[in-house]
Parts: sequence; structure tokens; C-alpha cells
Amino acid sequence: MITFEAVTKRYPDGTVAVDALDLTVPAGKTVVLVGPSGCGKTTSLRMINRLVEPTSGRVLLDGTDIRDRNPAQLRRGIGYVIQQTGLFPHRTVEDNIATVPVLTGLPRKKARGRAAELLTLVGLDPVLAKRYPHQLSGGQQQRVGVARALAADPPVLLMDEPFSAVDPVVRASLQDQLLSLQAELRKTIVLVTHDIEEAIKVGDLVALFAAHGKIAQLAPPGELLASPADDYVAGFVGFDRGIRRLSFVSTGQLRLGTGPVLPADATVAKARAAGEPWVLVTEEGSGRPLGWLDAARLAGQPDSGALGKLAADGIGHSFVAGTDSLRAALDAAVLSPAGQAVAVDGAGRVLGVATFDQLRAAIQAADAGDDEYAAADGGGPRR
Amino acid sequence: MWSWIPGNWSLIWQLTWENLKLGVLPALYGLALSLPLGIIAARWRWFYPPVLTVINVLYAVPSLALFIALIPAFGLTDTTVIIALTVFSLCVILPNVVAGLRAVPAAVRQAATAMGYGPLRRLATVELPLATPVIIAGLRVGVVSGISLASVGQLIGVSSLGYLFIDGLQRSFPTEIYVGIVLVIVLALICDLLLVGAGRALTPWAARG
Repeated sequence: MITFEAVTKRYPDGTVAVDALDLTVPAGKTVVLVGPSGCGKTTSLRMINRLVEPTSGRVLLDGTDIRDRNPAQLRRGIGYVIQQTGLFPHRTVEDNIATVPVLTGLPRKKARGRAAELLTLVGLDPVLAKRYPHQLSGGQQQRVGVARALAADPPVLLMDEPFSAVDPVVRASLQDQLLSLQAELRKTIVLVTHDIEEAIKVGDLVALFAAHGKIAQLAPPGELLASPADDYVAGFVGFDRGIRRLSFVSTGQLRLGTGPVLPADATVAKARAAGEPWVLVTEEGSGRPLGWLDAARLAGQPDSGALGKLAADGIGHSFVAGTDSLRAALDAAVLSPAGQAVAVDGAGRVLGVATFDQLRAAIQAADAGDDEYAAADGGGPRR
Repeated sequence: MWSWIPGNWSLIWQLTWENLKLGVLPALYGLALSLPLGIIAARWRWFYPPVLTVINVLYAVPSLALFIALIPAFGLTDTTVIIALTVFSLCVILPNVVAGLRAVPAAVRQAATAMGYGPLRRLATVELPLATPVIIAGLRVGVVSGISLASVGQLIGVSSLGYLFIDGLQRSFPTEIYVGIVLVIVLALICDLLLVGAGRALTPWAARG
């Protein structure tokens, strides 16, 4: 756990970078410091490993004032990842990763063995071990940076704009990698970014900074989107926060309709009898969705004909009830020709459909703070 | 006229060896002085401008004048030539040490600190290795110019390939002069190639242009 107690950083020219910051980073959680440039987020981060010393206040690591620790010793227990990677150009990938273990006295051979494991952990081919950093792509270098920070298995990881220098596709994959690593390793992570999307994606908690290291709001990402503390926060998180926050709401309690769902071997007469403008046809046996049929298509067809013989419209995409978010369900409804989202189980079998009215009811229930709708694991965003 | 060469083989060999010594030793001494001065200059920036001014003034002094100025203290000896040439090599090597250390990317230095390197260890295992290509470039200029300038020492009686120039001129015997010029150039080229090789061996990581 990392605790900031009334931490202020004032530079000799009078600039106040951080002003009386109070912040607690729970052990095993990812806290993202996000805000415009010059808001003091990077300065705050660097005060954790004593690259910057506070003017007043204290920073505690697991209850101990970090000023009581030898800086070099302290830093060997804190992984550090930066935007420009800071990889050593004169060392091979494996020796870069082995840096801290070697510093702490591990024999080089063992440290290199560990480096090979870490390469795999961050999704790189171990054949890259003998290359030099300049022979790698930007995304690969950034992964090596993460591996190097993890090499000595430090409980704390500091990441300063770690993914800002790579293109959006690579960035998304690095963020996914971080989420899966974190699910496994449970490090205490402080990540600095100016990208609110990144903050919402990777953070358990998001600290949105206003100027001078003042925190405008500290909240889980879903809450930040659903109930911004003020206009500054609302402006920073963006105009479509209403939809984006649905990424954090489960579909577990969404009420589904079963009315217009019929198997492919059902007759046209049965579909007419349902009296619905659209009928969802499913595969016999497997129960997978085949497509939507509208009432006009049924007109003129013999009563005894099987629904499976008629050409149906595609369903867009389905959502997995209970696993995917309300945002995925809403998207499925928007893309569906029938205006209804198709809910399936893990095996792809249709469980029912959700209309806009049913989705709206679920959103309102979530807004009312109905716990049934809160994401069960309280963790990151759902699909 | 080329028969002069086999007849004077041992003289030529001795002069070449002395020229090599007078050229290379000052460059090594210059490097040994440049490293601590350069490290101080790279760390405390105020230190460098005055040092650079002094160095440039010294570099502007003609080599012969510097030899003469040192004679009262060290006489007509190797020491006089070596001290003077050390000053000149310092003038070309020190700026490269400073430039090399300053060119270490800030992110690399910061990452090293954040991983728990103390200042000395960081200097020895990160900053100096990264500055090596630029320092070697300076050393190459220092060695080559040292080998070339060593012949001037002959004017104050310190033996080098310069002997062949003066003797050849006095006897109106151009063969000696040609041999001297060729040997100075060959000597400089060999030393330069050796330094390039040493540089490559020390910096296997550097991208080859």
C-alpha cells in the first residue's frame, strides 16, 4: 500500500507542482493518475521512488516513510516503466531485463534464465533475448521495459505514460497484456496517463487531477463516468460517458423476453401465431441464432413450411448474458434489424432477446444503485 | 637512390619506434586526464566553459613554441615533447568525453537511477559505455595528430621520424623525406585502424552506419 500524506512539491522558482496531496493506493490494485499536462501527476509518481523529493508531507510504503529507506535499495523493490522505455542501448534484451536481479546480487546466468521466462510472460519470443533494443519495434521495446520492471518481482510497479509512444493498435494490445498480467500478479500499480480512455480501461481506481496535484475526483472508473463530481470531471471524461459507463454494468440481471424465438423446424403457422413483428430463428439442437424473420416475409408462405427454409436477416452480433456488459447488449440491439439484442449463454445457445425498453429498465435500475446490476467482480470493464 | 633504405634499416626502425612512442603515449595520457575532467564537466556544467577556454587557448599555441616554453623545466628531452603533445591531445579528447557523456539519453539515465544504480555504478556501467564511441572518435584524432606532431620534436633534438625530414633537407636527399612522410602516414593509419577495431570490440551494440 502506498500513502500520500499532505504531500507538497514546490520548486525553487515558486511553482507548485503538487499541493497537499492525500492519496492511498491499495495493495494489489491499479490506480491511474490522469489529467492534463502539468497537473502534477508525473511529479507525484516520481515521489514514490524518490526521483523527486517532496517539499513537505510524507509518502509511506506499507506504513514506512520512504525517506527512512536507502534510495537505491528502495528503488530495487519498485518496478519503473517509462514512455521512452529507457532501455540500455548497450545491453542485450536479456541483460536489460536482468538489470535489477544482477544489481541485487543474483548470478548473471540465473538472472538471464529468469529474463527468458519474463519475455514469455510479456508475450515476446525468447529468441529476442540476444538482440539489442534498437533491433526491436517500439511495441516490443515497451514490452521489454515491462519485463525489466517485473524482473525482481517487486510488489510495486510505477508506470509513467507507458503506452503513449506506440500506435493505437499496439497500445490496445499492451493494455490488454497489462490487464491479464495484473490479474495474475496482483501488483500495486500506479500508472500515469493523459488518456482518459486508458485510465478507464486499466484502472481499478482513477484519480483525475486538476491543476497543481489537486485531485478532482478519485473513484472507480464506472463511478467516474456515471457520476462525475463536477463540470471539470464531466468535461474531462467526455460527452459520451453515458454510454461508456455501461461497460461497467453487468447484464446478469437484465430481463430477457423469450416470445419471438423459434427453432428452424417450427412451422410458419406457429410464427404467425406469435403475433410479433420479428421472429428469431434458431438452429435445431444447438440453439444458436440463425437470423431474424419479419412478418412481411411470412406473408404468402404456406402454413406448414419450416422457418429454416426462409432467408432470414443477420442478427448483427449477440451478447453473452451475465458476462458481457450492458454496453455490448445495447450495441447488439442498435445493430440488430429487429431492434432487439440476442442474448446467448457461454455455448452460444439463445437465452432470449432484450428490447430497448428492457435495456432502458436495466440502465435505470443500475443508476438507482440497485446492487443486482453492479458488476459482480467490481473489476475492469466488460466487453 | 632507394638503396639508402636497406642500408639504414636499423635507423629507420628506431626512428619509427620513437615516433610511435611520442605520438601514442601523449594521447593515452590525454585520455587519462580527459576522463576525470570530462566527468566533472558533464556533472557540474559551470566547470566546463572556463576549462574549454583554457584548452582552446593552449591548442592555439604553436607546437614548437610550446616545446621551447617547456625546455627550461624539462630540457631537450622526450618529457618536454610528451608533455606538450599531451596538452594537445587533451584539447581534442576532452570535448569528446563531455559530448559523449552529455549525449546519454536522459531517459536512460533516469531509468538507471530508478532501478537502483548509485551514481558511480551508473557512471561506470551505463554512462561511460554509452559514451565510448564518441570518446574513441576523439582518441583517434588525438593519436593521429600526435604521431604527426611528434616529428616537430626533432627541431629541439628529440629523435623521431622528423630526423629524416631535417637530414634529407640538409643533404638535399629527397629519398629520406619521402620515406619519412610515408612512414608517418602508415603509422597513423595503422594506429587508427587498431582504434577502430578496438571501438567495434567495445561497442558491439552500436548500429553500424
